[in-house]
Amino acid sequence: MTDTLVPSATPAAPPARRSRRPHRPQQASRSWRVTRAVLLFVAALATIFPFYTMVVLSFKPTGPVTFPDSLLPWPFSTEAYDRLLGAKSMLGWAWNTLVYSIVSVVGVLLLSSLAGYAFAKKRFPGKEPMFWSFLAMLMVPYHVTMIPTFIIISELGGVDTYWGLIVPTLANAQAVFLMRQFIASLPDSLFEAARLDGCSELRVYVSIVLPLIKPVLATLGVFVFLWHWNDFMWPLIIGQSSDMRTLTTGIASMQQENVPLNMLLAGSVLAFVPIFMAYLVGQRYFTEGVTTSGIKG
Amino acid sequence: MTLLLVGPAPARSSEKGVDVVTLSARRRLRRPSLREAGTALLFVLPCLLLFVAFRFGPAVAGVLLGFTDYTIGGDASWVGLDNFRRLIDDPTFWSALKVTVIFALLSVPLSMVASLGMALLTRRVFRGVKLFRSIFFLPVVTSLILAGVVFTWVFAEHGPWSRLMGAFGLPAQSWLADSTLVLPAIVLVSVWSRFGYGMLILLARLQEIPAELEEAALSDGASAWQRFRYVTLPQLRPALFFLAIIETTMSFQVFDIVYVMTGGGPVRASYTLVYQLYEQGFRYFDLGYASAVGLALFVMTVIVALIQRLTLGREE
Repeated sequence: MTDTLVPSATPAAPPARRSRRPHRPQQASRSWRVTRAVLLFVAALATIFPFYTMVVLSFKPTGPVTFPDSLLPWPFSTEAYDRLLGAKSMLGWAWNTLVYSIVSVVGVLLLSSLAGYAFAKKRFPGKEPMFWSFLAMLMVPYHVTMIPTFIIISELGGVDTYWGLIVPTLANAQAVFLMRQFIASLPDSLFEAARLDGCSELRVYVSIVLPLIKPVLATLGVFVFLWHWNDFMWPLIIGQSSDMRTLTTGIASMQQENVPLNMLLAGSVLAFVPIFMAYLVGQRYFTEGVTTSGIKG
Repeated sequence: MTLLLVGPAPARSSEKGVDVVTLSARRRLRRPSLREAGTALLFVLPCLLLFVAFRFGPAVAGVLLGFTDYTIGGDASWVGLDNFRRLIDDPTFWSALKVTVIFALLSVPLSMVASLGMALLTRRVFRGVKLFRSIFFLPVVTSLILAGVVFTWVFAEHGPWSRLMGAFGLPAQSWLADSTLVLPAIVLVSVWSRFGYGMLILLARLQEIPAELEEAALSDGASAWQRFRYVTLPQLRPALFFLAIIETTMSFQVFDIVYVMTGGGPVRASYTLVYQLYEQGFRYFDLGYASAVGLALFVMTVIVALIQRLTLGREE
């Protein structure tokens, strides 16, 4: 399937129109500009509405929620947050999510950059078949491999452990592929020069490869973080005790236990804030990841 | 869920043949030293081991498992096609298949139209355009679980959505409690959560269309619709094809929203294939049967992708 997905964007090519003057001011007629503004405004309101709802309702005292009265910012109460953070389990879930996300980001970036460098710039026996079999894994759907992976982890005693949660997700074919593509586009001379100067391979990797691939590390890192922070199905099946839940599975479990809406939403807000911050700071990387390589958020 | 837009592989200088004198090309003439191959293998090894254990192995096992009666803690024995015969006789499977297909048929076109619309609206540079793009992409980075919790309230009996429908003269009821309206409700949530992704993909492509093309059409007196239909749309075709494949694959795998918002109900009206896989595998621990469901999903995805390739993907 992959070879059919012809690119719309050439990797790392800046939008060609950037350099040009935004032209054709005469074309955007006044009526079109007004229509466009109205349409965009309505669409933006509809898009933001759930976020607004989430925040406002999380700051309500426990009680019946009605529409539209409840969407007013008052009465204001931090009761939901107090109860949620007093219950401890929420902090545990947040910690689990953080461990899952951070360790995975570091692990995936390290492993995929090492392998990507070797695939891009080294010669060794079995390189081509090995790379293509990595690539083939992009096409095997997640749900087919998920069940055997679960069986392996549970046979190894990894259910309800951090390593059982994290280790299988470190085998990320897309990360290896992106790294390999990016490093292959770097000139060989950079690595040759260092090697002729007598640098060890590890030294070349640390002081030449890593600094050069910073942009792709950032983009990929942001997405790996996002995937793990928002991941649901794998944490759901591997973290079976309540101590091992992540924020997503924890909130889903609270919902099934009929926890009041304000607490559910307070939990949602807490789970959303880190992603929102990451989005505010690193929006460029999200956008670049999607437009240059089609990574799915 | 990780899918990928495969770019043209950067041409390696060693393959061009013209730069025979460059260092890399000269290096190609000698065989890889043992040392070089050794360190390279060492670099690949950690990844390779993980892939063997958690990707290659499970991919093979996932297929084989579909032909066994493996249950958690029990022994597996080969049962041949039994799981697939059971699948064919299982009304739950057919209803899950139907729900999944309807979900895809509703959500893929809707999401693509929304993506295209927003991409066209935010295409030109004007004040605030970046803010609009950021807003539209925000749901893409938001967990579907969080979205599901909020939307459960939005679609509740006296919630905003039923009031809105009431204002249009439609029955003010909870869409999630109605077996025909539950799927459209989930479709709406799904579209909300993903149109920003398609918008960005299409925007990137729109910005690559040479301005001269449209200027030429404009000076030939083409109307806005004609310029869109005969200039812009053909240029977007590869991107739209890519998006259609991704959107379809994602739709076939819908799970998170269903899990939070409906649990497959009411009366299995939103019970999808992945939900069945989850329930068979991790509630009833019938992992062999769950694998068979997974394989059916896989086959279905491949078939639909091939159909899409033959129809949408053909060169004009």
